[in-house]
Amino acid sequence: MRFSRARKCLAAGALALVFPGLGGAPATPISMTGDPVTNEQAITEADRAFWSFRALNRPAIPVVEDTASVRNTVDQFIVAALEAAGKKLAPQADPVTLIRRVTFDLTGLPPTQEEVLAFVAASKAYAAAGSTGPDPYDSLVARLLASPRYGERAAQSWLDLARFAETDGFEHDLDRKDAWQYRDWVIQALNKDLPFNQFAAYQVAGDEMSPENAVATGFLIAGPDMPDSNFQDERRHLLLNEITSTIGSVFMGLTVGCAQCHDHPYDPVSQADFYRLRAFFDHMAPLKKEKQLSMANAAPSPTPVVSRICLRGDHQRPGPVVQAAFLRIANPDSDLVVAAPISKNTGPRTIVARWLTQSNNGLFLRATMNRIWQQHFGRPLAGTPNDLGRQGEHPTHPELLDWLATELPLQKWSLKRMHTLLVTCATYRQLGETGTRSSGPAGPKPAAEREAAAEDNHLYARYPRRRLSGEEIRDALLSISGRLSLKTGGPSVRLPLPPEVMSTLLEKQAKEVSPASEWTRRSIYVFARRNLRYPLFDLFDRPDALVSCSRRSESTTATQALSMLNSEFSQEIARTIAAEVRKAGTDPAAIVAAATVRCYSRGPSDREMALGTAFLQKRAAVATFDEAVTDYCLALINASPFFYVD
Amino acid sequence: MGLAGVAIAHLLGQEKAAATTISRGLHFPAKAKRVIWLFMHGGPSHVDLWDPKPALLKYAGKPIPDSLAKFDTRREVRKNPLLPAAKKFHKMGESGLDMSEFLPEMGELADELCVIRSCHGDSVNHPQSVYQMNTGATLAGKPSMGSWVSYGLGSENENMPSFVVMPDPGGGLKGGPPAWGSGFLPASYQGTTLRPGASPVLNLLPPSGMSNERQRATLDLVKDLNHAHLSERNEDYQLMARLETYELAFRMQSAAPEVVDLKGETEATKELYGLDDSRTREFGTRCLLARRMIERGVRFVQLYSGNTNGWDAHDDVLSNHSRLCKATDKPVAGLLRDLKSRGLLEDTLVIWGGEFGRMPMSEKGKGRDHNPWGYSTVLAGAGVKHGHIHGSTDDFGMRADVDPVHVSDLHATILHLMGIDHERLTFRFNGLDQRLTGVRGHVVNGILT
Repeated sequence: MRFSRARKCLAAGALALVFPGLGGAPATPISMTGDPVTNEQAITEADRAFWSFRALNRPAIPVVEDTASVRNTVDQFIVAALEAAGKKLAPQADPVTLIRRVTFDLTGLPPTQEEVLAFVAASKAYAAAGSTGPDPYDSLVARLLASPRYGERAAQSWLDLARFAETDGFEHDLDRKDAWQYRDWVIQALNKDLPFNQFAAYQVAGDEMSPENAVATGFLIAGPDMPDSNFQDERRHLLLNEITSTIGSVFMGLTVGCAQCHDHPYDPVSQADFYRLRAFFDHMAPLKKEKQLSMANAAPSPTPVVSRICLRGDHQRPGPVVQAAFLRIANPDSDLVVAAPISKNTGPRTIVARWLTQSNNGLFLRATMNRIWQQHFGRPLAGTPNDLGRQGEHPTHPELLDWLATELPLQKWSLKRMHTLLVTCATYRQLGETGTRSSGPAGPKPAAEREAAAEDNHLYARYPRRRLSGEEIRDALLSISGRLSLKTGGPSVRLPLPPEVMSTLLEKQAKEVSPASEWTRRSIYVFARRNLRYPLFDLFDRPDALVSCSRRSESTTATQALSMLNSEFSQEIARTIAAEVRKAGTDPAAIVAAATVRCYSRGPSDREMALGTAFLQKRAAVATFDEAVTDYCLALINASPFFYVD
Repeated sequence: MGLAGVAIAHLLGQEKAAATTISRGLHFPAKAKRVIWLFMHGGPSHVDLWDPKPALLKYAGKPIPDSLAKFDTRREVRKNPLLPAAKKFHKMGESGLDMSEFLPEMGELADELCVIRSCHGDSVNHPQSVYQMNTGATLAGKPSMGSWVSYGLGSENENMPSFVVMPDPGGGLKGGPPAWGSGFLPASYQGTTLRPGASPVLNLLPPSGMSNERQRATLDLVKDLNHAHLSERNEDYQLMARLETYELAFRMQSAAPEVVDLKGETEATKELYGLDDSRTREFGTRCLLARRMIERGVRFVQLYSGNTNGWDAHDDVLSNHSRLCKATDKPVAGLLRDLKSRGLLEDTLVIWGGEFGRMPMSEKGKGRDHNPWGYSTVLAGAGVKHGHIHGSTDDFGMRADVDPVHVSDLHATILHLMGIDHERLTFRFNGLDQRLTGVRGHVVNGILT
């Protein structure tokens, strides 16, 4: 049995860890081909012809028949593929659907009622004027991207990639007191639209390149670590391999870590390549037992470090010496490029940071734009964003991906411009899967119909629906109940935990809870404990921060339902919303309208109105009206229209 | 079959999930339909409990011979004086299995046990070894065995999770919840933690004062709203699954408290598990819950004994193990007896063991340091030989010597007993068909019936 796709994330370097080789018991040998340098396989023409390793060239823009459906260049690629399959885009979505979609997408929050009303009115006026003049949708997008909420939203995807948490993991899982500064740096950098090449480079070498961005280098040390290890050499080795593997996954979309014990089984990455890349990081200051990682570790080692291959990934088996060099397959022109000698002013990490973020690094740009696409369309163009190698999924639209990859440097590396391009295209603005259901009761459809639907999804013949993340669910609940605090930045918020969860913390772990005024802040500011995720986030698939995660899984479980129905948090939100909508009076229809607008950013359908008023009347007959309204609000936040964005 | 398919199959009927996840049925007939894993957290001492070493008495106070002294230790105890077992062993039962005076109740059941004396792992540290024993890898982030089994076999009862974990109420497992995490498998396969008491699962019960009838009314409205939402959209597994989860949640609300409600158990049964004694009541309760869960179709139950320190007897083996053996011996024996009398031991595998064993030499005079290079794990029940010893350590109990059983071999064997070929239970991730056993693992045929 085998599955075509996995969305959660495993250490690219996990293979190495099967063989820590501490010299105790016999290990099953794995086959080795001898000296990893002299036996290194050359990169072949065929390797270089693979889609993600190919030199990045700007593809021709396809010509489409139905030019009326095209809003920008992105659409030309999508519509051309649709036309080849005899299909076309769905009609453009209505303003109410669109504003909920794009507001959640760009800010992680629902639009307010006032925002919806204003946008609907402006859209009507625009349509009445024959769709001439400035499109109110464009100003909506500009407003959202200018909001501080944008960086708070976009940061979470990046922190997933950065396997960011604020504790060490392992046995003691101690707090890292200053880790929040890196989180704040990411939010601020995104908000001020720091050019993406700098955004990336500073996370590898900010301390060397730009002192005011030194905190960005927190990326390198954001992963798990075991300061109390009795084997500090092993700790350093694992840490360096983890950093190298993460750099490979995040900045090249390649499972470089698979090459730490032996040559990569599928991709043209040799074991020597791995340790040459690692050599850029080998110069870090020595670790001290019981001392947590900090930026001080980024300082160069006082004594020169000789970089060697670790045979079978075992630090106790030093192999040939290697020089710091870039991945051969990612050098567009020649195979082996040894890094320029390290000058006094240029640290080794600066060299690799500059190389990684060059505008001819096809892997870097493809990996980046693949993820930006995923941010807006719920799934990436190439299905395995941290593995664009031979075992990964091929992109559904390779030319579009390459076009976007070449566009980013042309747009001065501005992510906000790329976001604008993607969320203003007709493909993004089309209807989702609504109103197209053929008649008949809910139930499995014939296979042919299912396959056709899958093809439509792949071709983007409609906008793909997505479920909110746990963080969005919490933020949305706070927002629609009018309790969301918009305070930004600073040390993380420690939310109260149920006693049965709190009791699992160790003696040495801090158990303090932030003042209640902090409890309603956005989820991005909630303290990220590696070994104990906040229960609601955990239930809704927050990754474990043990390895870089490029794509969350989307599970649907009964424990999610229990939490949303029964938790004190949900109950309190329902009561708060109920108190607000009770201001609409005692007319059930008015209550239903007010509550639905609040929870779903739209008015109720006829069916929802009928269900809601019937419920209120029935329940009010056996309980108080307040209780009926509270239960009604609880049902609204437990129903699909709340969890899903069309 | 994509992930969405797995999730829906998991929700819409666990037996259906089993049929679809392992497309050609089980790889071979399963001898063990379920597993109860009694995890002795901290590292119980094999040389004091399961693996008697006369040489330790003979050379007591002397260092281990140089030829055996090449190994990593955590606290540089290599040259410390050898320390004899803290209590005597006796040959018990028809099998004549060596049983320690630490475990008198289990001693009575010597003929039921299969002691693997040649286990070994790869790390001297607790969290790495806890991870390895649970997930096959020394770093956190891989799926645990219970997750792999749920993924492969589903559950027998759609109202209960298929993989349940009952942590020690003292908390503080070294390594934390990643020990029962699902790693790269879908989150629905992670272990569900369950506690004794009125609310065994987080948020299981409605707030106090909310009647069943009131909650049912709310749930009916959720259902109607979801149907209305679905009827305007194309068929979607996720939307259908969400409909189903609310019904499953409602059923769990009555099913789960029933599982943990011991009112229906007889006094004799409670006594069997030591519920009548304050020293054994806590672990006995969880052992009894384990039986109740497997009776109701939970496939994989894991219990942890030992808080942060647990069986980690650095200072004094006698005092540490006396306390923990007292707390667990009778409950474990009671569980085995109860399973046997109910005919459940025939197709239930019980595992007793820690993340590693302990060193033959002393630490701080009366304690022992960690030893992953050789230690014992005990099996009982479905498909394994009874009153049997497999493999051995060297004369001092220092490392696995004859017929060594690596952690991955143990994993391969447990999966085998459950009818799963460890090389064919895979999940494509990061370009590789990942397995519980990584690139190693051999079934230990010598212990199979």
